[in-house]
Amino acid sequence: MLRSIYLKTLRDYRVAILGWGIGMGLVVISPMASVAALVTTPQAREQLVGLAASFAWNADPIAVDTIGGYATFKIGFFVFLIAIWPLLAGSRMLRGEEERGSMDVLLSLPRPRLNVAIEKLAAMWTALLVMGVLIGLLAFAGGAKFGGNFGLGGGLLYGLNLALICAVFGSLALLISQFTQERGPAAGATAGLLLFFIVLDMVHRVVPNTEWISRLSPIYYYNLSKPLIPTYGTNGGAMIVQLALAALLGGAAIWLFVRRDVGGTVPFPRWLRLPERQASRALPVGDWSLGSVYARSMGMIAMPTFWWTLVIAAFAAFLVYAVQLLETKMSALLSGSPAFTTLIKNLGGGDASVNAGLLSAMFFFLPVLLMAFAVTQVNGWSGDEQDGRLELVLAAPQSRIAVLLGRFAALATATIAIAVVTLLACFASAAASGVSLDAGNLAAAILGMIPLGLLVAAIGYLASGWLATAADTGLLSFLLAAWFFISFIGPELKLPDATLRLSAFYYYGTPLLHGLQPASVLGVLAVAAVALVLGTMRFARKDIGV
Amino acid sequence: MTAIIEVENLTKSYGSKRGIADVSFQVEEGEVFGFLGPNGAGKTTTIRLLMALLRADSGAARITGLDCWKQSLEIKRIVGYLPGEPALDPNLTGGQILEYFANLRGGVDRTYLKQLIQRFDLDTSRKFRQYSTGNKRKVVLIQAFMHRPRLLILDEPTSGLDPLNQQEFDHMVKEARDEGRTVFLSSHVLSEVEKTCTKVGIIRNGSLVRIGDVAEVKAIKRYEITITFANPVPAETFKALDGVADVEMLDHGHAVRLAMQGSADAVIKAAANYPVVSLTSYEPSLEDIFLRYYEADPAPAKEAQGVA
Repeated sequence: MLRSIYLKTLRDYRVAILGWGIGMGLVVISPMASVAALVTTPQAREQLVGLAASFAWNADPIAVDTIGGYATFKIGFFVFLIAIWPLLAGSRMLRGEEERGSMDVLLSLPRPRLNVAIEKLAAMWTALLVMGVLIGLLAFAGGAKFGGNFGLGGGLLYGLNLALICAVFGSLALLISQFTQERGPAAGATAGLLLFFIVLDMVHRVVPNTEWISRLSPIYYYNLSKPLIPTYGTNGGAMIVQLALAALLGGAAIWLFVRRDVGGTVPFPRWLRLPERQASRALPVGDWSLGSVYARSMGMIAMPTFWWTLVIAAFAAFLVYAVQLLETKMSALLSGSPAFTTLIKNLGGGDASVNAGLLSAMFFFLPVLLMAFAVTQVNGWSGDEQDGRLELVLAAPQSRIAVLLGRFAALATATIAIAVVTLLACFASAAASGVSLDAGNLAAAILGMIPLGLLVAAIGYLASGWLATAADTGLLSFLLAAWFFISFIGPELKLPDATLRLSAFYYYGTPLLHGLQPASVLGVLAVAAVALVLGTMRFARKDIGV
Repeated sequence: MTAIIEVENLTKSYGSKRGIADVSFQVEEGEVFGFLGPNGAGKTTTIRLLMALLRADSGAARITGLDCWKQSLEIKRIVGYLPGEPALDPNLTGGQILEYFANLRGGVDRTYLKQLIQRFDLDTSRKFRQYSTGNKRKVVLIQAFMHRPRLLILDEPTSGLDPLNQQEFDHMVKEARDEGRTVFLSSHVLSEVEKTCTKVGIIRNGSLVRIGDVAEVKAIKRYEITITFANPVPAETFKALDGVADVEMLDHGHAVRLAMQGSADAVIKAAANYPVVSLTSYEPSLEDIFLRYYEADPAPAKEAQGVA
């Protein structure tokens, strides 16, 4: 496997291919397991169809009472999760090697720069293809096990469609990394664009006559194929569009790479460049963020917080705006259906207003995003320790406890800031679109995310006492995915209450309808505090950078 | 003089991998102590234990009588530290980094800081990632010296510095010594240690094999004498003499190269029996002594333990 750059890169991906391929395959299978239990009676089937219609903003509710249709529908938003690996791989493919300095050595070999880049990109695409095959095989196995009506071809086409959309975002990350000095901002910008394109694709399912807007999103072309639904099938043209887009983005990235300085970036056109700030040679430099560990941590977290705030607040504001349009659409679709009334009651768990009922279900995604932000910041903390960036800070007369808590306090501040701005954006959106919502409950729903973000951060800080950065981030991501699935699919699988309580989302509840449950909030905060205390104790005693 | 650093039977391992074992030494206040050893010998492990970045498995390390682990905060107030592989926020400028650490320390004389920047001719407006290796080293050197610490702990301080800046560093160490401050530096650049240090410790495979004054270390030297004769001389003339460790005949017996340890009196007297054309003696550099301690065979190590 070390005979060429292509094979070596593929070798580097071997764990990810197996882990991500099988993991995501299991993600696809999991909703299949619950279909039989959901369609035991005609009434239950009608209710399921109605429920799916309420989530039409998320994915097209087509043949949701079949194994393949339900899995396709349920995975809808999860393209976000599945595309994380390719965007990370794409952003570090060339830029990561440049950051480590290994690209200099690689390019000292008698091999054209073009070949190096092409082999690396080809390895990533191959890895995605193998992952797609694994996901397809597992989807087929799941269908066979639970009585699906699609064959092996359908499963493999499903995997191929996923591989293609992942190749688009992997190539996009590669292209963006040509413009950034480090891989982190490239990955962050691609993740932001991914979410933006997902929302752009949602627009036509919520706002009438807006399909032309959604066509601008690659996700739209991904969703045009539904190979697990034989009656719907695969759209070959849409697959070709994705392939062409991946090739175009990857080709542009390589074209730029062979023309720029190694370790440098492609300059933006003059009119796009920010005015260059001439750093002063004089001391003191007068930077607000240099006064303490907390201030420095705030300085470090400021830019990521800005982008995450933009994404989360915009998404929340969009959901608030979309809810009334969705309600109108659903009323037309399901007028007179007794299931509709039941559905809203199920969603809201009571006699709350329709707006709040629908929005409560949609807002389920917001804490996930805030927790994902916490995961990225834990990754930064752990990475700083692993890369030796804490060594000099700890050599200054600062206690380890103060350093850790200073950093955590900055993360907590950022989490609160994101939530507050999101709340303001929701109020503004509600006012602009005329959606009537209970202000108190809306505040509870948004601010109630904060303890969940702090919980993830505290667990991450605790685990970083033992685990390397990649393992810590992997553990948190797994925990997040597991919690989400317990809460998202668990009730349909009739999981016992004790299992449902294992998920942090259980304690988030339905604040938009019922306000915050003080006991739950305090419970989450208590667990977070315990994790933080244990994490601090561990950090105070551990070997640094080992 | 009193000991500012006291290390007793300090041991640290990384799981099954060796770190250091039973290392003991003292550094007196006002000394410039050179800690020598090849890569992986345990220099950085020892230094990181002193800085409480690692926790010892056993043994004790004290600075000014304070326990390095339990009282690290008090210790760090009086120590200036330079890590072997400095990693800092790549997006901060040199000026921002220095200001940040000055703020974390508190009480840094800004005028002195500016003097240090001038002495090293550092452009503080560039981002850390844009610096060359040498300039990165300058930034961390300045932060180590900027608060005039009572003790400087420097891990390979001149690595990557150009000769001019190495010279500036030598001056700064000399100034620190003249002011009664203590410097503990690790290095494998022996000429540097020879030049700047008053005492030397040599570490090998995690164990301290020799410690002494620079002059004392040199005294156990194995030096060379090359004698050229007018006529061939038998090798046996020198083989059994006191102080002769090895004999090599050159130029068909017209010359002899002797590896010496100790007095050359017997050799000179024996050589006087023959017509001598020339005699050359080579002073060993610390480099030679150092290499000797790292020869593949274990004999020198045993010998060194005996001497130490």
